[in-house]
Formats: sequence, C-alpha cells, structure tokens
Amino acid sequence: MDHQTTETFDQNAREALTDEQLRAALRNLVTTFGERRKVAITTVDDWEGLRERARAIKDETLTHLDKYLEEFADNAERAGARVHWARDAREACAIVLKLLRERACEHIVKSKSMATEEIHLNAALEAEGLAPVETDLGEWIIQLAHETPSHIVVPAIHKSKKQIAELFAEKVGIEPTDDVAVLTSTARRVLRQCFAEADAGISGVNFGVAETGTFLILENEGNARLTTSMPKIHIAVMGIEKIIPRLVDLDVFLKLLPRSGTGQRLTSYQSLITGVKKSVDDEGPEEVHIVLMDNGRSRMLSHPVTRQSLACIRCGACLNACPVYQQIGGHAYGSVYPGPIGAVITPQLAGIKKAAQLPYASSLCGACREVCPVKIDIPELLLHLRAEIAEGTTVGTADQKGPVKRKLSEQMAFRLYAFLWSHPSLYNLGTRVARLMQRTVMRNGHIGRVSGFVSKLAPPLGAWTASRDMRAVAPRSFREKWRDGLSGRR
Amino acid sequence: MVELEDNKEVRRAMLSAIREHLAASMPFDAVHDEHHAEHKANPRISSAVADEQSASPTERFRNALEAVAGHCLMVNDERAAADLVLEILGKINARRIAVSDSLLVKRVMSHVKLDAEILVDASKSELFDCDAGITSAQWGAAETGTLVLEADAERHRLASLVPPVHIALIEADKIRQTLGEVLESLSEQGRDRLSRTVTFITGPSRTSDIELTLAIGVHGPGELFVIIIEGRDK
Repeated sequence: MDHQTTETFDQNAREALTDEQLRAALRNLVTTFGERRKVAITTVDDWEGLRERARAIKDETLTHLDKYLEEFADNAERAGARVHWARDAREACAIVLKLLRERACEHIVKSKSMATEEIHLNAALEAEGLAPVETDLGEWIIQLAHETPSHIVVPAIHKSKKQIAELFAEKVGIEPTDDVAVLTSTARRVLRQCFAEADAGISGVNFGVAETGTFLILENEGNARLTTSMPKIHIAVMGIEKIIPRLVDLDVFLKLLPRSGTGQRLTSYQSLITGVKKSVDDEGPEEVHIVLMDNGRSRMLSHPVTRQSLACIRCGACLNACPVYQQIGGHAYGSVYPGPIGAVITPQLAGIKKAAQLPYASSLCGACREVCPVKIDIPELLLHLRAEIAEGTTVGTADQKGPVKRKLSEQMAFRLYAFLWSHPSLYNLGTRVARLMQRTVMRNGHIGRVSGFVSKLAPPLGAWTASRDMRAVAPRSFREKWRDGLSGRR
Repeated sequence: MVELEDNKEVRRAMLSAIREHLAASMPFDAVHDEHHAEHKANPRISSAVADEQSASPTERFRNALEAVAGHCLMVNDERAAADLVLEILGKINARRIAVSDSLLVKRVMSHVKLDAEILVDASKSELFDCDAGITSAQWGAAETGTLVLEADAERHRLASLVPPVHIALIEADKIRQTLGEVLESLSEQGRDRLSRTVTFITGPSRTSDIELTLAIGVHGPGELFVIIIEGRDK
C-alpha cells in the first residue's frame, strides 16, 4: 500500500471500493463500534452537557495554550521529568534518537501512539540501525506486515484473521489458526520476551495536566503499562494540544473518550504519570522524558475555525460514522490520520497543497459533527479549507501559501455559473435553452448513462455524469408555477 | 544525525509562535463568536445515571466490574479474604506468587497456608514466572468498577500487571461512587504529594484488534479478582 499518497486519493478510493474483504471489515467496524457507542452514551445522564463542558475546557486551554503549556512543562520538571521541545518532526525524532544513543539503548519497545506515527519515528530510528518493537497487538500486526495503520483506534482493522494467521505463521512460526485467542496469546508470548529485554520504552500521551505536570495514557491491553514500567527509560511523545488545565477535568474526558471510541465506559487501564520515581527503590523507570511537539499545530491557533482541530482527542468516532470512510477505509486517504478528522488535520499539518484532495473527500453530511465528543464542526472546517484551496491560505510557509491550481474547465464553469445565477434575465433564458436542448438526451427526468443513453456529456458536465446522472431541468420552473397560481391550471 | 538547538531556545521559539498565532486569531475570534453564539451555552457537569446511584458503592462496584469480565467477591473480614485467596490460588494451581508490600496484603497472606513460593519483591525475571500477583488498591470507583493504585503507597505496579492472574484486596470504605470523586481526592493531595504513578484498572486486559473479536489477557492479567473486605466484624 506504499504507493498510496494523498495526491492519488481518487485512484486509491476507486481501488478500495473493489476490495471486498476491506469493505466487509469496515461494515463490521461500523456496526460494532457504532452500536456500542450508541449504547454507551446512554450510560451518562447528560451527554450533550458533557460534550459542551469538554469543548469549553479545550477552548479555554487552546486560547491560553502558552500559559498552560509552560505550567505543564514546569510542573513535570519539578517532579523530575525532562521536557524537550520540538518544533517539527525532524527535531522530535532527533531528540528521541539522541536520548537512545546517549544511553546506548538497543532494545526498544513502543506502545501505540499516533504522534509517533505522524513523525515517522520508527523509520527515523530504523535508519540509524535501531529496531523499535510495536507492542499494541494491532500495531504489531501492521509492523510485521510493513503496513501503516488504517484506523486511529484499531490500526489493523483492514486485515482479516486469516491474513493475520498467515502473517504470524510466516514471521513467528506458528501453525495457521483462525482462533483469535491463539493469535492473541502468540503476541503475548513473543512480546513478553521484548519487554523482558527492553532498555527503553516509547509511548504517546492522551492528556497532559497543567496543574500537576501529569500525563495520561489510556489503553486496554496493558502494553502501555509494561512499556512505561519495565524499561529504565521512558520517552513520551506528545503534541502540544494534549494539555488540559486540571486533574479533575479528566473526569469529563475519561467519560467521553472510551464511550466515543470503542463504546466502553472506561478502557481497562489508565496510567497517570507525574515525573520520575522519588527513590531508587521505587518501581518504574529511572528517567522520564517528555517530547513536546508542535509540528504544524501552533499555526492552527491563528483562526477560530482551524483552532478547533486541536480540540481532537483522537477517539475515532468520526471515522466510524463517516459514509466516505465506511466505503474506502483509512489507507485510501494516503495520510497518517484518515477519515473526517484526517481530512482536516492532514492539509493543515502537511500543507494544503500536498493534501488538497482531502477536504473534498466528504459529502458534508455532518455525521462526524454529530458524534464528535468535543463538538468539532468538521464540515465547517472542510469548507474553510476548501475556501483556502480556492483562494489561497494566509498562514503557513511560503510554499504553502497561494491558491491551489484547479483545472481551467472547472474554473470557467464556476465563473459562468456565478455570472448566470446573478443575472435573472440570463438565468431565465438559460433554463429555457437548456429545456429545449435536453429533449433529445433526457429520459425519466435524468440525463446520463444510468437512466438515459448518453454516455458522456461535454466537459465540465462530463465530470458529474461520469459517476451519476444529472437531473434534467424541470418542464415548468417554480416561478412559472407560482405565476400561474400554485394549484395551477395544469 | 541532526544538530539540536539549545532546548531553552526552542522552548522560547515555540511559545512565541503560539502567542503570535493566538494574536493573529483575535480579529477572527470576534466575528466567529458572534456567528456561533449557541456554542457558548453554559457548560454543565454531567452526573451519573440516577438509578445506578441508589445502589450501595460495593454493589455498584461489583455490577460494573462483572460487566467487564472481572470477578468480584465480598467478604466480612481479612480471615475470610485469606480463605478466598487460598481457594483462587489452589484453583489456578499457583506455584509462584508475587505479592506487594502493603500491610493489608501482608496481614491477609499471614493466614494463607500454601505450599508455594511467595515473593515480596520479585525481580523482573521472577515476575515473568509468577502465576499470580496479589496487591491491595488505594481507592475504588463504583461507577465503573475501577481500582485505583497509588504507587507511592505500595509497590504494586508490576505485581498487578505481569502475572496472568491479579488478585486485588480493597477495604469497602475505600470505594467511592464515581471516578470524579477519586480524581478530586487525588487533586486535593496537591501536586507534590501526588503519587508519581497512579494506575486505574477496570477489569482484565483485553483487545479487539483482530476483527474486533474480544480477546482477554493480551499483555496484562487475563483474570482479575477483586476481594472487597467489608470489615463489619473487625
């Protein structure tokens, strides 16, 4: 799947639509997680109030992010953690690499982290001869298969158990089986050896609490607990948007995140880590490092619409609810973050020109906005980004500014459309001409290959009829009917 | 390898970038707030579902824990807890057991007469060989059936995690109704007295990473027994 990039989105999506196994997996995802979420949100009294509270906390934090970030970093350091600041992916990877090199770490275990996926940390470490091992079951599966996650919560959702069994047979030498319990215990057995040997653990972060300098990791498997407890050094990579002000604010997010993501009331484990152990006899790592990473986030602060992107808690609910994601899965997006949230984050992180297709990978139906636990108005964001694509952005580096070039035919079509629709007499004339012209090509009120016999219209209308029919102009317009009286003589 | 700039310099640069972008947003914020006045509705704090609140904390804890495939047992005193521990260890045929250094665990284990190796401070490699881990918990949250382990109070980080079976002892009066109450208690300790690691545990280790099929005990314990000691006859 390495050939899939955001630039080839249209092609990726077409390929995904023909992949029956992928589509079966996605149907399973949508039913299972969708239904579980619906049930789970009824186990709190006031889901709407909770969402509003969460959004208010995030808005407060983001509009004072400098203050809360400093508070978090200072408190974490008071408790003995070392805080490293990274402006971009390159710096973040370099910091992690330097820490590992200075301590001569060879055996590295990792727990699931989208932030480290975003900066391609594994590739950066592998380029320097290190071999970090992913320990989350889904992440381990795709690492063995040399693939990328296709969902931010269940990374290997695109793979069947048969494929996974074949993969395990090839890579770790088990007898092929379709027993999920056997596959799972294989992972336990093989990865235990890695945990026993590990001298460094790398994790992500779900929340950072400013008032105490605590950071939190949510999980179900226990691999994050092992990653952060067994090795001598723990490195946590965290985006600067993960901050919340107070410890008690966690109550709100711990109610929202598991219910939205997997439909659980609470995931099996939460680790709240504040600095490093107090005495050498205590359990846990000798060193705790936090890498605070910007990597394109701070510029999202420069407008209230884009700023909402930073409220995201990575629950994955918008993926499961999205009619586009449901059909094509995560890989088609060609980006680390797929689905609706990926379609708005990717162009902002990578630069709008690199991911100009993604804001159009949506029907603007609003399902993502409905399920988002922090009330991110993703359709509003998509439209904002589409406007930036058409008119050029005001933020970002020089090569990211300026409008994205559209096809000349498309530009001309929209100019003509705008001109006609703003001149009533031309509009009326246009509909009359269209009514005359469509007579030969129309069938059952539609023009196109499905209901009619026209295989292709002239551009730019051909782009529309390539995948669906076009409604013909009505025999009598609403204005004509109104003029004749709505009950009408005819 | 990339040459790294001074950490303090990068910190300053990142914070000033944040301030610049926030400042740039201000004229847009005014317009946006006007258009989105409904977003500014008064935030309310949600409470738990009413019918569940009527149950006693221990009952509620048991229901929530059993709903996530954990075992919950209630006893009147520590001696009865010891009997249960013995029964569980016998059933799983435990030969090697990791125990934490908590006083409660020590008291209960003093009543457990068992022909097995009991390790108070198991090394990492010993832990991988243990059949069960026995710890206590500092708090419980009834709403979700959650155990709260404070690492400064007890050495239970690994004993509760590495062996395939975790037996946790908790006194009934440590169980609060909600996780929110526990978070408030932790918060009241203040940032300097807060345990360096606090772990919330709700049921056994689980995964749905393969075709969303539930599998129990992937990396952490596959079985969790919580013994609630009511202490009525203490």
